[in-house]
Amino acid sequence: MSEPMKIRATLQVDTADVRILMLHPMETGQRKDAKGAIVPMHFIQNVAVAHNGKSVLDAQWSQAISRNPFLGLRVKGAKVGDKISVTWTDNKGDQRTDEVAVAAGQ
Amino acid sequence: MLKLRGGIAAIALICLSGSGHAADPLAVGRQMLAEDNPGEMWVDRGKKLFYEKRGPKSASLEKCDFGMGPGKLEGAAAQLPRYFADTDSVQDVESRLVSCMVEQQGFKRADIAKTAMGNLDRMSDVEALVAFIASKSNGMKMNVPLSHQKEYDTYKAGEYIFYRRNGPTDFGCINCHGENGKRIRLQDLPNMTDQKQMQEVVSTWPAYLGTQSNLRTMQWRLKICYWQMRLPDLAYLSDVSVAITSYLNHQGNGAVIQVPGVKR
Amino acid sequence: MRIKTGWAWSVVVAPVLIVAGCASLPDAATTRQIAESVVKTGFSATPEHAKRLVQDRSQQICSTIGSAKLTPEEASEVVKLARASIQYPQSGKLAGDWKVGAKLAYNGSGSRISGGNLEKAKENGALCSNCHVIDPKEFNVGNIGPSLTGFGAQRGNSEAMAKYTYEKIYNAWAYFPCSNMPRLGSSGHLTPEQITHVVAFLIDPQSPVNKK
Repeated sequence: MSEPMKIRATLQVDTADVRILMLHPMETGQRKDAKGAIVPMHFIQNVAVAHNGKSVLDAQWSQAISRNPFLGLRVKGAKVGDKISVTWTDNKGDQRTDEVAVAAGQ
Repeated sequence: MLKLRGGIAAIALICLSGSGHAADPLAVGRQMLAEDNPGEMWVDRGKKLFYEKRGPKSASLEKCDFGMGPGKLEGAAAQLPRYFADTDSVQDVESRLVSCMVEQQGFKRADIAKTAMGNLDRMSDVEALVAFIASKSNGMKMNVPLSHQKEYDTYKAGEYIFYRRNGPTDFGCINCHGENGKRIRLQDLPNMTDQKQMQEVVSTWPAYLGTQSNLRTMQWRLKICYWQMRLPDLAYLSDVSVAITSYLNHQGNGAVIQVPGVKR
Repeated sequence: MRIKTGWAWSVVVAPVLIVAGCASLPDAATTRQIAESVVKTGFSATPEHAKRLVQDRSQQICSTIGSAKLTPEEASEVVKLARASIQYPQSGKLAGDWKVGAKLAYNGSGSRISGGNLEKAKENGALCSNCHVIDPKEFNVGNIGPSLTGFGAQRGNSEAMAKYTYEKIYNAWAYFPCSNMPRLGSSGHLTPEQITHVVAFLIDPQSPVNKK
């Protein structure tokens, strides 16, 4: 089972500063293992971020994105308590969704 | 992070040509990564592992004493390495952790040594646990004690080793880490004879290493140094590593701990 | 590390102080004893590889701690030992092929030990670019040592310059005792033949090092 994402969403005035950490091998399909065999492609193809159920980001990723990727974005018109939900889908068909509530900023 | 930096490296290239001196166009990116880096995932995993009943003795690590009392982690890493009466030795975070894993959870030391460092296929438990334990000292100042005779001995041995010229390269730590503004190829080197730079070093390990795609501890860093110095394999948790860590951490006393760091 | 004359006194005093419950910084001799024992047992090494941990006389002298300085006698001894170690190639030709030297200069591998095994490499690299700027068009270079750009252009490529350059690479401590620079020839890391190619890379007027 995949590891949960770590999502932080902090309100700055009316914008949620969202930081997302994902654990994913993001294999390009070019790396060779210790025995010399190609490690098959295994990478996140799509990332969708929703704010209170409404899509705010839909990203098409490729092998160019690094292992254990970090994604940052700002969502306008957010309020404390709003739901930010992140879903990734990879080329093997695995999917993972995690959600946080927007927290007050300092 | 390696591939993400592929595009960024191209920018760094332009800034470097000619003078050979590295400016830092990546400062904003580095700041963002310092605030949220993949090392956090190791901290979270370490927390889970710490409180889980594990090993042949099916015990958690809650009875492990890191110097502040059994299971007390706040501020523990800030005062390590230090002397422990039950092992009659000076121990750092990682060697103390492994002692507890062996004594209280029943793991075999040799097995732990084999899997202590993760790779691209497997996160290591030890690295996650060290990250978690160290993070419980975040915001606190490094305050390594010198009071027991063995602490004094270990500290001075660490200083001696820092300056010891050895191997086919004639290197001691001092030869690469003794001056400001130096680098090996494009890797900047901290000057470990400068207190401020030493503080920056000791407060940012353990760290997520982009080139390793794993969280690494000082055990890993010293192992790699000795590899490049053309010396034999540094034994895992050896007294050499504890001595050097003791010297570095004590020299870095006063540094505000902020882990996990993020490094190339 | 020199053992100071007061060591016998401090060895007697130290145990008394410990018994009295007063811990303190060990003196130089005790530190050396403890540290050397720690080094001896701190590595997983085959008997062959463990030899790398043993310091030779020059390394011992050069392991000054902190701001301690070499005495003139110590400096002379290191230089003398270094000069005596220098061996020249059988051919007697000290400047070889700069194109071969260029490859060696940017090669930072060779002789490393991992998991008890010696690195598999066709030959040891000269490691130059780890610490030196050489060809100014190559930016992936270090700065622990001075820039070598224009080395030959500034100094010429006479027999004497070839000899100086060869000796400096073979054993840098012959010219600068306890230099940061490894003694590449006398340690066996580079063969005399390899060094002649690096010499050529540095002093040959055709080498990119010396071209504008």
